[in-house]
Amino acid sequence: MPNQSSQIYKGGKIVKSKYPTSVKKVDFAAKFAGEALFSDDIPFDNALFAKTLRSTISRGKIKAVHLPKLPEGYYYFDRSDVKENVVNIIFSDWPVFADGRVNYLGEGIGIFVGENMEVLNKLVEETKVDYIEETPVFDMSESYIHKAFKKGDYEAAKKKAKRVIKRTYETSFQEQAYLENQAIIAYFDENDKLTLTGSMQCPFYIKRAVMRSLGLGDDQVRVIQPAVGGAFGGKEHYPSLTGSQVATAALKLHRPVKMIYERPEDIVFSTKRHPSHSEYEALIGENNEILGIKAHIKLDGGAYKGCSGVVLSRALIASCNAYVFENIDIVGDACMTNHVPCAAFRGFGSPQTIFAMEMFIHHIAKEIGVDPLELRLKYLAKHGDVTTNSGHFHDPIILPELINKAMEMSDYKRKVKEYSKPGCLKGIGMSLFLHGCGFTGSGESDIIKGKVKLVKDENDHVYCYASSVDMGQGCRTTLKRIVAKNLGLPDEQVTMDGPDTDATPDTGPTAASRTIIIVGFLMEKAAKNLKKIWKKGVRQEHIEPYVGPSYIHWDEATMQGDAYPSYSWGVNVVEVEVNPITYQVEVKHTWSTYDVGRVVDERIAVGQADGGLLQALGYGYLENLRCENGKFRQKGLTDYIVPTAVDAPPMETAFIDNPFIYGADGAKGMGELTFVGGAPALALAIENAIKKEIHSIPATPEYLMEVINNGKY
Amino acid sequence: MVKYIPASKEDALNFLASHDAYIVAGGTDMMVLKRNAAGLLPKFDKDVLYISNLNELNKIYEDKEYIHIGATATLDEIYNHPLTPKLLKEAVGEVASINIRHFATLPGNIANASPAGDTIVIDYLLDAIVKLESKNGVRLVKAENFVLGVRKVDRRSDELITEIMFPRFSYDGDMWYKVGSRKADSISKVSVAGLYSITDGKISKFALAFGSTAVTVRRSHELEKEIEGLTQKELLDRCEEFVEKYSKIISPIDDQRSNKEYRLMVAKNITRKFIKQVGEGK
Ligand SMILES: Cc1cc2nc3c(=O)[nH]c(=O)nc-3n(C[C@H](O)[C@H](O)[C@H](O)COP(=O)(O)OP(=O)(O)OC[C@H]3O[C@@H](n4cnc5c(N)ncnc54)[C@H](O)[C@@H]3O)c2cc1C
Repeated sequence: MPNQSSQIYKGGKIVKSKYPTSVKKVDFAAKFAGEALFSDDIPFDNALFAKTLRSTISRGKIKAVHLPKLPEGYYYFDRSDVKENVVNIIFSDWPVFADGRVNYLGEGIGIFVGENMEVLNKLVEETKVDYIEETPVFDMSESYIHKAFKKGDYEAAKKKAKRVIKRTYETSFQEQAYLENQAIIAYFDENDKLTLTGSMQCPFYIKRAVMRSLGLGDDQVRVIQPAVGGAFGGKEHYPSLTGSQVATAALKLHRPVKMIYERPEDIVFSTKRHPSHSEYEALIGENNEILGIKAHIKLDGGAYKGCSGVVLSRALIASCNAYVFENIDIVGDACMTNHVPCAAFRGFGSPQTIFAMEMFIHHIAKEIGVDPLELRLKYLAKHGDVTTNSGHFHDPIILPELINKAMEMSDYKRKVKEYSKPGCLKGIGMSLFLHGCGFTGSGESDIIKGKVKLVKDENDHVYCYASSVDMGQGCRTTLKRIVAKNLGLPDEQVTMDGPDTDATPDTGPTAASRTIIIVGFLMEKAAKNLKKIWKKGVRQEHIEPYVGPSYIHWDEATMQGDAYPSYSWGVNVVEVEVNPITYQVEVKHTWSTYDVGRVVDERIAVGQADGGLLQALGYGYLENLRCENGKFRQKGLTDYIVPTAVDAPPMETAFIDNPFIYGADGAKGMGELTFVGGAPALALAIENAIKKEIHSIPATPEYLMEVINNGKY
Repeated sequence: MVKYIPASKEDALNFLASHDAYIVAGGTDMMVLKRNAAGLLPKFDKDVLYISNLNELNKIYEDKEYIHIGATATLDEIYNHPLTPKLLKEAVGEVASINIRHFATLPGNIANASPAGDTIVIDYLLDAIVKLESKNGVRLVKAENFVLGVRKVDRRSDELITEIMFPRFSYDGDMWYKVGSRKADSISKVSVAGLYSITDGKISKFALAFGSTAVTVRRSHELEKEIEGLTQKELLDRCEEFVEKYSKIISPIDDQRSNKEYRLMVAKNITRKFIKQVGEGK
């Protein structure tokens, strides 16, 4: 029998938080009773289904599409049916429907629409597409986005270096594996307005994408968010593609059109986390000091750029993690391949480089014969230090407290020594990390310019409007708590529903760990301002625009300046045991400490902490998504292995307050923070157990067999 | 197409005599095999006989020679039954997850004849017998003769498996290894079961069976005969020789779950561990 280990949620010790610990989430009752309506549960009269005709090759021109005879009531839509054939993403190079050519296996050429799914499947099967095939690219040899920046003078430092240490690190694809698959529905609302609902993170992204591809005005498209079963970044941009596709059909047919993905379709054809290949180099001086760090980071962006430029940028910003080095030379390339486009995923580029840097600093320490912990502490970022991108750490940093607390909770120092003995198969690893909150640089003030709205009715009940999507992470609960507290009202007197673009101002996307630090801050200010003008028994409305810290300056072209408004910080400690017969890793226990400014709701924070870390552990040792000749080999959750409840170790988490002046009561971001450090902590624990270096994740038993038998230390 | 829920075993056998039908017990393989797009009914292209409600086939009982496990006993019931052989209990406890075990059955596992079927390894090792019944009578087939290949078994279309019978015998020590990719809901990459006895300082019984490493479960009676009769020390001295010999009876492959190098190495590691266990009498 597998060990059905129970989970010990010790929760965090919250130092002086002003909020009561936890409340029941606002959507709890409906979800627990199974009454919450997710996209596919919403009843529509007269609805049609859409099924995508997909390319069967990875790269080539489309010579001809031979459609079968369409039965009565069945339709086909493709590029000839849209006004502008692009999906409105940060870089709009991805067509709504293949534009005369295909660039990845499974690219949507058109959609069949009709009442019966069985017939639609048959129509797809019976369609013949003639291609002129071209040789696809599957390695990272063709850069399509290049970025670089420097700090200090790396070349000059190299002249002083006693030695140079080099390593290469690789990370793999990852699937978001949200519970609810991609789903999108276009229909006409009671006023006959084209409306989209579906599983999404960013209602306004979809709205703008549909407006652009179909040439519609601001008042001609509406987007409403229903209950959403998880997203993790996978629903940030992809629904802009599928939304544009169903809207095309709905607009022509004037009937509801539903597109609901099945799991294999979702795993194989929707966006993934960027695989990475990072070459790191360190200059070591006379006294074993690190004189400089150089890195070349490559990401597999897939067939279209989409948001890969931003992912690359954020990967590079995180390339030295929480350490400060004098001389830095960082180069990055996002590469065009004929893989499925890679896009947003919790962490957005930083998990790849934080993994590389955390491993690298250990490998440097081992090679120069110093204690890894001491080496790391020597280069830890401090308040006022100059960042990797030559900006400043403007806010107090409590990383030493976080480290001490995590070491105390886990008995790290004793264990790491004990487990280092030859023959011991247990291991413990610790990662230290930071994560930037909100959009890069001053993007929140200059580009997003988010707004929230509070409406008070005649009964003094307050309604909160923001475009933030509750996809399970609990923001409807936390945001409304912030409002209630600042108005001095009981929670029941405040309501927050999911966004409807006709009623909700654009607060920006639900991404970039920005919901609490930006939207929460806006809600706090809005509530305070509404309180000032509060008149009992009268309907009142207040709109609050975002004004961020004025000291943040960032230049995206040179990648110089303050990369983020603020940072959250964390430490993960992971303990493992490696089976010498099967090379399997068992995660025994984790301990984490976080500085998220201030915790708004303890249970929701622990949910992020445990969920984020478990997902990161999966990324580190289980979630193997292999693409061979453009084809994913793992096509379902039977073979794409995410950790189950039984695999989840006991997890202990502590939060230490470090309030941020531009956060709601000091709160910063935490959605991604809890993900970025898990894989390196796990990989370091495995290294401690097997006494060999890990350079690649996921550290599957197949990979560990190789490392144990042939690797070096 | 007929979907039939029989009232009794006899009723089921009558139905099978006149229909070429799929049999569905727990359905945990069949419903996956025949699944259709979400929201659509499974794609059955023949008649279907649903047997899970047949209580008369649900019993687990013993007689002098055998432990009998009825065809509709669920893996969860088998896991919790005091008569269940120890190794079978261990293997059953690691099949899928608790939810699947509430439905899945032993005949379903062996009749599905997947190379990764966990309980089939135990059936082979314990010399289990598949009891097949039809209107024309009863046929008893040894598990290792019943499985012919991937999804191929020695069953006539009018036959129903009514029991899996485990010969009662005792032994001194055993081993079960399921190597999956996580702790639950995981299809085996390699599985190995072994048992042995020592009599008067000599190995009197030795058996090893391997799953997920060839098209069917592999067990070698020749190697077992070679080992039986050796002293523990002789076995230990020849450990690497037997590890090599055992590695020749399997032929693992690359697939989406693992690769052949890993499967081979792990099968060898487990074999070595078992030989040491036998040699040291643990
Ligand atoms: C999520 C998941 C995880 C799984 N994990 C595992 C695992 O870890 N290990 C493992 O070994 N298996 C696993 N399986 C496979 C499956 O659960 C087992 O093979 C199970 O034992 C099948 O039993 P069943 O009663 O559900 O079979 P069914 O699906 O009802 O039938 C399977 C086959 O057996 C035939 N059959 C069933 N009963 C009889 C009978 N009485 N007479 C004649 N023919 C019969 C059917 O016709 C069919 O061909 C998993 C399945 C799922 C869905």
